[in-house]
Amino acid sequence: MLLVRPSTFSDLAGIERLLDDTDARVTTLPKERDKLSEKISESDDGFRGDTDGEGPSSFLFVLQDTDSNELYGTSGIDAEAGCGYPFFNYRLDEIVHASHHLNISSKVPVLFLSHELTGRTLLRSFTIDPALTKSDGFDLLSRARLMYIAANSDRFHQEVIAEIQGIFDEKGACPFWDAVGRKFFDMDFLTADYYCSMKSKTFMSELIPQHPVYVPLLPPEASATIGQNHPAANRTCQLLYREGFHRSKFIDPFDGGPVLKAQLRYTHTISNIRFKTARPSDVVGGMKYLISNQSNQDFRCVIGTLVDGIGDSIRISLDVADALNVQAGDDIAYSPL
Amino acid sequence: MYIRPIQRTDLDSLCLMAKHSGVGVTSLPDNRQKMAAKLDQALASFEKSLPLTERVYLFALVDESTEELAGICALESSIGHGDVWYNYHVGKSVHASREIGVHKITQTLYLSNDLTGCSEIATLFLMPNFRNNQNGHLLSRSRYLFLAEFPELFGDEIIAEMRGYSDEDGNSPFWESLGRHFFQMEFSDADYLTGLGNKVFIAELMPKFPIHVPMLTAEAQAVIGRVHPQTEPALAMLKSEGFEFNHYIDIFDGGPSVGTKIKNIRAVRESKTYQVGISDQTPAPDFGVKHGLLMVSNRQLGEYRVLLVDQGAAGDDTLWLKPAQAKILHVRAGDTVRAVSLRPKEL
Repeated sequence: MLLVRPSTFSDLAGIERLLDDTDARVTTLPKERDKLSEKISESDDGFRGDTDGEGPSSFLFVLQDTDSNELYGTSGIDAEAGCGYPFFNYRLDEIVHASHHLNISSKVPVLFLSHELTGRTLLRSFTIDPALTKSDGFDLLSRARLMYIAANSDRFHQEVIAEIQGIFDEKGACPFWDAVGRKFFDMDFLTADYYCSMKSKTFMSELIPQHPVYVPLLPPEASATIGQNHPAANRTCQLLYREGFHRSKFIDPFDGGPVLKAQLRYTHTISNIRFKTARPSDVVGGMKYLISNQSNQDFRCVIGTLVDGIGDSIRISLDVADALNVQAGDDIAYSPL
Repeated sequence: MYIRPIQRTDLDSLCLMAKHSGVGVTSLPDNRQKMAAKLDQALASFEKSLPLTERVYLFALVDESTEELAGICALESSIGHGDVWYNYHVGKSVHASREIGVHKITQTLYLSNDLTGCSEIATLFLMPNFRNNQNGHLLSRSRYLFLAEFPELFGDEIIAEMRGYSDEDGNSPFWESLGRHFFQMEFSDADYLTGLGNKVFIAELMPKFPIHVPMLTAEAQAVIGRVHPQTEPALAMLKSEGFEFNHYIDIFDGGPSVGTKIKNIRAVRESKTYQVGISDQTPAPDFGVKHGLLMVSNRQLGEYRVLLVDQGAAGDDTLWLKPAQAKILHVRAGDTVRAVSLRPKEL
């Protein structure tokens, strides 16, 4: 059975293997072991609710097969985008340039540097073994985060965002980066991306141009990629759209990829969630649901079947109860798959 | 050849010159009505009937043998009052991070009205058949004697805007990379509208936020502050008088603005006043040689005159003029004149 749970230090090797196998860009997950274990340690603190006063929490989950113990994916949440630092985006806006006298009027798209999304709930670090991309595991890994948020809703901002990777080719050439960031950062996209995962975000503040960027001044191949997601992220986008996310005016300042936004309470997962007590049972049947326990530190989420009904308790299968570490009478939550 | 203030009867000649000047000389629009307005403004300026800041002094270079107009030049007392004066200021931006070892210096263009209130070395046009015998130098530099004589009519600082680079077909790389995206018209059309004094459209259409120079095309970046090949001699002349690039450029073609304090202009600093003496013996000027010529002005505002004499005409305190020269200058023995060598000594 596939299970989503908080990452632990013993997952290090498994996560490293995953990052090597997937070519998808996961800026928030560094490949270097030291940095990666730092992330897991931060996440540990987050789940324990122990942030040592060192700023907002971040959470890293893994997708594991309980039969083989193999890891198949990671996903994460930052309780506050930017983690206490400014969270950078470009906001795509329009300025009207009009001359009544000359009968000219045009809307000029302009990119404004923005920190507006700083502090929002941020979904990040999504990586999945390509073999599972088309399985229920994909939905489980992504949506388990919303199940976790639902169980701990007072710790998260009501507005949730997800940065979707933008357009770049196999060689790492990114038209948006080449036309914008590269002119000021003096490095190629992959190097900048590497620094993003390895260094503090201070260098962003230091290097990113502060003045607005007139889109018509960019080469057409760059302006065409503004707000466009990488084909590899198509499925992620589709899932988030189904959840109730929508495209925002914000884009990633590096690759121009879109930022998707939603209100937590209106996401499909959270608006359909039910909280009841578990009644483990031999009886199996019904529809597929995401089912999670309500533990903070030992959060678990799986896909199982159940028959929804009235009453304060709900029947779940024994192996689901086992995977969730719950017994009769424990609180659980479920939301339709 | 001599310099005098423009006259009402010069309108036909002015319009003819505007036709000749073509694109790139924005101050000479090929439009009779606009030209007549410019002429009226100049006449009122010499009559001091306009407020100080609105005065524009137009001078004509005249062939005394035919009274034909060979060229014109102008001085603006104070720019940016009636119309708004726009430039891009070329600024530096440093993008540096010690943490990742980056230190990059880039340029940024800031839309500015900083030059408002400066005086301006404005229009100059010399008819092609008169481009010889030091006429260009006389026409251009005669203005410095006017500045030396009437500093109270001008500001402390003076600038000149130089025509920016464009290729043989009239294409401006700077315009193609920047202005075109906002104005949706040809460079020549935008230029024409400016020349007509229709500057409101600039404010309406121009990008107001600073422009990151690295985002312009390489061709456009290369011509920031670069003059049109035909303007190189004019730039050299201004530089020889002490003008320097002031880091402001034209918002359309990226051509440089050059400036200096009026009191620091070579011809203003070195000019001296002399008493007029009349003598047939005074040597005739040789216009074929670059050096050895003096510009002489009669120091009168309304009847302002400048012509070239041989430097041998100057004594310690007296400048000896031939009777014909004195007649052109409207001076008699005992009057005072102001004179300075036409070119800086080292050139």
